[in-house]
Amino acid sequence: MISGAWICLLSPLAAAGLITLAGERISRRGAGYLATLSCFVAFGGAVASFVGLLGRDGGHRVVVSTAWTWISGGSYRSGFEVMIDPLSVFMMLIVAGVGALIVAYSIGYMDGDDEERRYFAYMALFVFSMLLLVQGGNLLLLLAGWGMVGLSSYLLIGFWHERPSAIAAAKKAFIMNAIGDATMALALFLLIKKAGSVEFGILGGQYSSTVATLVALGLLGGAVAKSAQLPLQTWLPDAMEGPTPVSALIHAATMVTAGVYLIVRTHSIFESAPHVADLAAGLGAGTLLVAGLIALVQVDIKRVIAYSTMSQIGYMFLGVGLGAYANGMFHLMTHAFFKALLFMAAGIVIHALADEQDIRKMGGLRQLMPRTYLAFLIGSLALVGIFPFAGFFSKDSILAAAMDHGTYGYVLWAAGLAGTFLTGLYTFRLLFLVFWGEPSPFVREHFHALKRDVVGVSLAGPVAILAVLSVVGGWIQWEPLWHPIETWLQTVAEPTVSPKSWQEAVSSALALLLGLGGIFLAWLIYGARRVAVPRFAFAQRVLEHKFYVDELYDALFYRPTVWAAKGLYHWVEDPLVDESSNSLGQDTRDLGRLVSRAQTGLLRTYALAIASSVAVLALVFVAVR
Amino acid sequence: MMGPGTAWYLGVAGFLFGVGALGVLIRRNPLIVLLSLEIMLNGGNLALIAFARNLNNGDGQIFALAVMAVAASEVVVGLGLIVALNRKRIPLDVDRLSSLRG
Repeated sequence: MISGAWICLLSPLAAAGLITLAGERISRRGAGYLATLSCFVAFGGAVASFVGLLGRDGGHRVVVSTAWTWISGGSYRSGFEVMIDPLSVFMMLIVAGVGALIVAYSIGYMDGDDEERRYFAYMALFVFSMLLLVQGGNLLLLLAGWGMVGLSSYLLIGFWHERPSAIAAAKKAFIMNAIGDATMALALFLLIKKAGSVEFGILGGQYSSTVATLVALGLLGGAVAKSAQLPLQTWLPDAMEGPTPVSALIHAATMVTAGVYLIVRTHSIFESAPHVADLAAGLGAGTLLVAGLIALVQVDIKRVIAYSTMSQIGYMFLGVGLGAYANGMFHLMTHAFFKALLFMAAGIVIHALADEQDIRKMGGLRQLMPRTYLAFLIGSLALVGIFPFAGFFSKDSILAAAMDHGTYGYVLWAAGLAGTFLTGLYTFRLLFLVFWGEPSPFVREHFHALKRDVVGVSLAGPVAILAVLSVVGGWIQWEPLWHPIETWLQTVAEPTVSPKSWQEAVSSALALLLGLGGIFLAWLIYGARRVAVPRFAFAQRVLEHKFYVDELYDALFYRPTVWAAKGLYHWVEDPLVDESSNSLGQDTRDLGRLVSRAQTGLLRTYALAIASSVAVLALVFVAVR
Repeated sequence: MMGPGTAWYLGVAGFLFGVGALGVLIRRNPLIVLLSLEIMLNGGNLALIAFARNLNNGDGQIFALAVMAVAASEVVVGLGLIVALNRKRIPLDVDRLSSLRG
């Protein structure tokens, strides 16, 4: 069981190392096969760990294996250890499983790219980092994995490094994430000072409310940055500059949901700081509305899905912030299925249309690619939460949990319901614009269908599997009738809310109705007639500028920094530092020039100098005597 | 003890040294400068020998012999230089030999 966990963790790392070291000796496709194989091996390891844990009864489902003592100083000690418990196994299965499918999909998607080997090495590195994040046996290893997923995300967003926009997006993502890393590190420092350890167990200890609040805030900062929630959400849409499978794996299915995992993993500290937990839920609710609104006007197929990702993670934050940990994790799982599906179906569309991502140029693809249409439809229905697709079961139980949390919960509940309406609207706007209607001139000119070769199979296979999972994945748990995930995660994170059956029923019914309403409105506007974006000039302008958040940060942080730097250069650096070293050199040269005048080259002057000096010395000698 | 006292010898030696130094300082012909140097050295030698006699000790005489040997070598080098200068038709004037450039 524990060896399964180690295999799971290390096989992607081995693949990354092998691909890197083999260089030209491994074929491009070989690198892809190797990376895919390593991810499937990792999935096998995860399954082995899962089976191993199943064989134990509830209270004993924690296994820690320490490879070596990593850092020790004074009484502080932390090991390089992996931990297998229900939560980490749950995440391992999702990361390795969905990861393996997406890496397999990449073989087809990246076919013919110049630097495929580098791509697959990065992908394997990412899977390793993500597994380290979820398997790390203490907060320090979690933070190490946290930083490494940020690094691999940076590398993969900027994979097409000849595009300036990709490099800018990579830097933006890295810097935004670094803010979160910093707050997390501060929280850890505080914990080490107060408790002298970074084990997960100490989070449940007794702390003063100030300490608990600060630690929870620091961890929330990390979660918010990684999961692209308000107010650090601006990097995720730009991250779509990376290859589509990267968007599917990192920026939809796994990495961006790490914030949800973090909150569930450290839930005890959030329970000691209830205001911070409420803040997390509120941020989630805010994000799901803001992202849903912005998604309405985006014209890039991947950006629409990116905003829907932000919005869905908003639901997860809403759930785990209110203490509905199992529901949040359940939505994380179903979201991984249907969002990876949507991204990969969109990837096939982009692939078929010669890398065009603008939905205004698309249309009528339903006739041309019926199977992709079907996959996209399944993903969309699951995203909106239509019965019996996956999202229905997971999203509605989050909303029901919100009802069980007093007045504040009702506010969030209302926001979540409004979100379902928006989800229906923007998701089906996308679907109608891309797949319905007559094929546009652009599509007629550029469309080429998938062939039944390695590329076609590698693209279609994972999409088909995920399409099935997006249908049946939700049936695992249907609150309140059966809830195996809640039971499974109970020993790690006991939910603090328990919605009643009528709340479940009301939430489900309303969410379903609103989702259908959103779909209907989308059909009215985009299905029946074809309008790319509705004409509400002011609202549209605000939404297209994403509520001016980028502009705000630009004015608030970037420009003052530039001004301060320019001012410092002009008033301090230039006159003080530069000038002082310059004049030091200049003065030395002047002095040298002065002294060199004495070097006349005239023998007799030297002799006179010697003679007169001797005479003076002799006089002094005599006088002193 | 016969003859003048040591002070006289030292006076003559100082005078010789002064004349030589003056010659080195004010003459511009390197030949004369070299000559003046010899006078200075001999002034020094005279002083050494005077002290040797005064102290009734042979060390000073030995030292004077060593100085003579050095002076002879120095003259060889100096005269060699002057001959070389003359061959290159460089004017024999120490003030115009102010550059070390070859």
